[in-house]
This record gives sequence, C-alpha cells and structure tokens, in this order.
Amino acid sequence: MTTLVDFSRKPTNEPVKGEFLLQSLPLLEIKNLSISSFGTKKKEDIKLVKNINLSIKPGEMLGLVGESGSGKSLTACALLGLLPKSLKVTEGQIKFHGRELINLSEKDMRRLRGNEIAYIFQNYQGSFTPFIKIGKQLIEALRSHQKISKQDAKKKALLWLERVKLPANQVFSSYPHQLSGGQLQRAALAAALMFQPLLIVADEPTTALDVLTSETILDLLVDLQKEYNCAVLLISHNLNHVLKRTDSIAVMYGGQIVEKGLTNEIRKNPFHPYTKLLLQARPVLSRVVPEKLVVIPGEPGLVAKEGCAFAHRCPKSFIKCSILPKMKSVGDSHWIACHAKDSEADDTNASSKKCF
Amino acid sequence: MLQVKNVSKSYRLTPVLNEITFQMQQGESLGLIGESGSGKSTMAKLIVGLEHADGGQITLNDVDFQELRGAELRKARRHVQVVFQDPLASLNPKLPVWKSIIEPLENYPDVVPSFLKEVRNDRKKMAGILLEKVGLDRNLLERYPHQLSGGQRQRVGIARGISLQPNLLICDEPTSSLDVSIQAQILNLLKELKKEFNMSYLFISHDMASVQYMCDRIAVFKQGVLVDLFLSKDLFSDTRHPYTKTLVEVTVES
Repeated sequence: MTTLVDFSRKPTNEPVKGEFLLQSLPLLEIKNLSISSFGTKKKEDIKLVKNINLSIKPGEMLGLVGESGSGKSLTACALLGLLPKSLKVTEGQIKFHGRELINLSEKDMRRLRGNEIAYIFQNYQGSFTPFIKIGKQLIEALRSHQKISKQDAKKKALLWLERVKLPANQVFSSYPHQLSGGQLQRAALAAALMFQPLLIVADEPTTALDVLTSETILDLLVDLQKEYNCAVLLISHNLNHVLKRTDSIAVMYGGQIVEKGLTNEIRKNPFHPYTKLLLQARPVLSRVVPEKLVVIPGEPGLVAKEGCAFAHRCPKSFIKCSILPKMKSVGDSHWIACHAKDSEADDTNASSKKCF
Repeated sequence: MLQVKNVSKSYRLTPVLNEITFQMQQGESLGLIGESGSGKSTMAKLIVGLEHADGGQITLNDVDFQELRGAELRKARRHVQVVFQDPLASLNPKLPVWKSIIEPLENYPDVVPSFLKEVRNDRKKMAGILLEKVGLDRNLLERYPHQLSGGQRQRVGIARGISLQPNLLICDEPTSSLDVSIQAQILNLLKELKKEFNMSYLFISHDMASVQYMCDRIAVFKQGVLVDLFLSKDLFSDTRHPYTKTLVEVTVES
C-alpha cells in the first residue's frame, strides 16, 4: 500500500485565495474508476461503476445526474472512502488536492473527511444523533478536527448557524426532532461548511424537502459556495435543480458516464439519446401542456452487459453499440460516449458542423 | 360530485385547515399544491373519512362522510380510493402482488366493476386483468413487493386503487419517490386510466409542473388556507395570487 501523503504540505483550512495557479488545476480528479461488488466467495460479481473519468476545479459546481442505480452515489462513496465492505474499487485513481485517496488509511481518511471534503446527505434526520442537542454535536465535530477551545467552538458553531439563516441560539440548544426538515438540512449545511472544506459532496440534499424549501437551501449552498470558493459535487435526479445551478454536468447511466460538459452546452445541445430523453421526460411548466410525456422505453436498471449500457433502451441503438463507445469531444467542453453520434456526423457532416 | 364546504380542522390548538371550500365534478382532476405542512394531506384524510373535521361539510355524491359511522361509512368509502406516495410502505410485504391487488375487491364482495364482470369469481384472473390495465405483465402476479422495482410497485398501488372503479382517486404525491423517467410513465398511465374510467382525481403534489400536466384545475394551499383556485390554463395569468406566482417562478427554468 503506497500512501503518498505529505502532511507537511497539508492544505490549510482557508480556501485557496490568490493561488491562481491552483485554480486551473483540478481539485478532484477521478481517473478510470471502476467499482465492483464481490460475492460470498470473494469473486468479482458485478461491475457497478465502469471506468469513469471526472474532474472538478476549485469553486466549480458539478452536477451528477442519472436514475437510481446508475452509480452516482457509489462514486461519491468511493470518493469519501465510505464504500460498504462488499464493494471495492477495482481500478482507477481518485486524486484530491494532489493526494491519492484510494488506499488511504482509515485514519488519514478520517482526518480528511469532514475537514477537507464535507458531505450533506439526503436524509437529514440521519445527519444528527437524535439524543444530543445540535449545538453539542457541532462543537464535538469541530473539536474532533481542530484544536479549538470549547468557547471558541461554540462561537464558531453559532456563527455558522447564523450564516445558514437559522435562529442560532434557539437551534443550538434544540434536539434534532424539534426542528423541521428544512431547518435540519440547514443545520447539516452549517456543519458541513464550518470547516470551510475544499469540496462538498451533496448527495440528493433536497429530495426529501418540498419545492420552496429546497430552492432556498440550494440557493444558500450556492451563495456560500461562491463566498468560500469551495467545489461542490451535487448529486441529484432532479434535473431542474441541476440545470439551474451547476457549472457543469455529468450524466450517468448503468455505471458509465454517457455525457458530460458545461451545463449550458448540455441544456442547449444534448447529444446522447439518454440525455435527450431525460430532458424531455420531465414535465415542464409551459403554456402549452403536452398530451403525453415522452417516456424512456424499457425498465430502469436495464443495463447492457457489453458495450454501451443504454443500448437496450436506446431508440437509436444499432450493431456497433455492443462495443463500448469511447468518450469524445463534440464541441466546446462537451464530451459524449455514443456511436450513434459518429454515424450521424458522417451522414450530415455539414449540418452538424453548424451545431458547434 | 365532491363538495367541500367551509371545512376547518385543527390538531389540538394548531389550526391546520381554515374554512376550505371547493367542488369537484365527475371526471375532473383537481390538483392540490402547497408546501409541506400546508394541509394538503389533511384535506385528503378528511375526504376519505380517516379524520373528522371540526367544522364544515364534506359530501361525496350527496353523502356526508362526517355523519356516517361503521358499516355505512365502509360502504360509502368504496367510491374513494387512495394511491400513496411510498409504494413499498403501502403494500403488504408478506402478500404476493395478486393478493394485494384484489384485497379491496374481497373487502367489498358485492361490488362488480364493469371491466371485471365476467371474472368476478376468479380472483387470480381479476388480478391479472388489473395488472394489465396498469401496463404490467401477468407473470408478476406471484411476486412479492420487494421483488419489484419502484415504478412497478407504484403501478401495483394504482391497480389496487382502481380495482373498485371508484368515482374519486386520491393520489397523494404518487411520483415523489420515483425517478424522472418513471415519473413520466406513471403520469401518462394515470392520465390514460382517467380517460378510460371517467374517474376524478385529487392530485396532491408539491411539483407544479406535474400538477399542471395532470389537472384541469389547481388549488393552492398555504398554511391551511386555500389561497388560489383556478383553471390550469390560467396558471400564468396576471391575476394569480402572489404565492402561486412564487411557486411558478421557482419551477420555471431560468
């Protein structure tokens, strides 16, 4: 096991300010990552995440979308070192701030988690222990990562509760059950942000909340993220939220990334059939209500074992789709993995050029 | 068909619903929209008769549910069925799918829905027909809920809901726990079934876009008050309540 951790160069908790050189380098780089589940006989069973590549720059907000079971959360878990025992990273690298995260010892990982990589989960009830007051939990978290006196920790916790627009003193001395879902998720946001992490992993942070509350929480996240220049990996199946707020998007299907690029680019010119269908399938508020919604054919979770995972459900699939398509660039910061695009480009070379 | 008149309800001292009044026609679908805690689900509970209102009147086909007790309430209730948000929680994990589907039909042995006339005595055949109505294959009959996907489970929930051919189907956030692609399938299915059986829907949701897609009229709840009631096509009209406008704003893409 080689852990290339140089703690003398451990990044400070202050966000990178003025280090413009660092800005252009990715903060997080996932290279060729594969995750498999292992059966009872320690034999590799199913490949759940297949050779994905991702990178996030400091201060960038990346949206990871895809249906349940597409491997979004697994990717996040691998990144946090929280994969369940039956799942293992079989190949690839996860580089965070110049460090390799796979094979990092549990002790080092723990030091990193919460401090430099913070996370917000979907079920806000689970973020806090039910029998301890919020304030005490925040202080405990702070003191486990930093050398800080109880008074200072309390001050800091109160400050951050205020920053997420909660009645600080009241929440500080409340038990989790005394708060509403929105309030709890805000408190979780405060707990994540008070370390001023370099990266926040937000796994479906607002799925359990209603429309207005989730809007305000996400707005808050965006504001604070900009202020502290921390990167965010926003995992969601709500396309509206992702399209509205992220800088770039990666679309996953069956453990593969099928399309990634800048958000605006993908919203305007989605190339992959799955992305296209996904964008059309959601009901959109408009003056003209469609008679029927577009439906993605087939059942979710229908993943082709060989080649492109979406092939069985894809309206455009043809023989070539049994070979795994490679990621290629189709424009300004926009990549897709699809064979159909190639043949389309061959057919209508002239018209497709216009798109770019 | 459904008349709700000046209905109020409070839990202990907290008012939950305040003087709610609206009507529904047969075959119409009405969307109830609002934040969590705005009283949408309480309204549904009152209509089904699971809770009693403090004041006001709710009548379905001129029958007042609040007045009924015991056997009579049971008899009247067959006209209202509910599809819940979490399909896993609303199906009995120990029953195979087909038993869950025909459970309502067994509870009301004298009800004969038009599409089940020929097979009313054959329980499995009835379950099979209902499964096909919601677009599922008959070979899922023997499965248990945990062996189905989320979308399939919700379809089973819907099959159960339509089994008695109710006048009113209450859908309480039927797609909130589902993926985008499945959501589209379920919404389409609900729309088709509505046409086929001329049912009325009370469609509860906090997603404005799906409510607009599903419903003829929309009722907006805010803190227990019905603040706005309008035809879906007037959603963008200037005369909308400010709260409705905020809801529209957050849902419309930037």
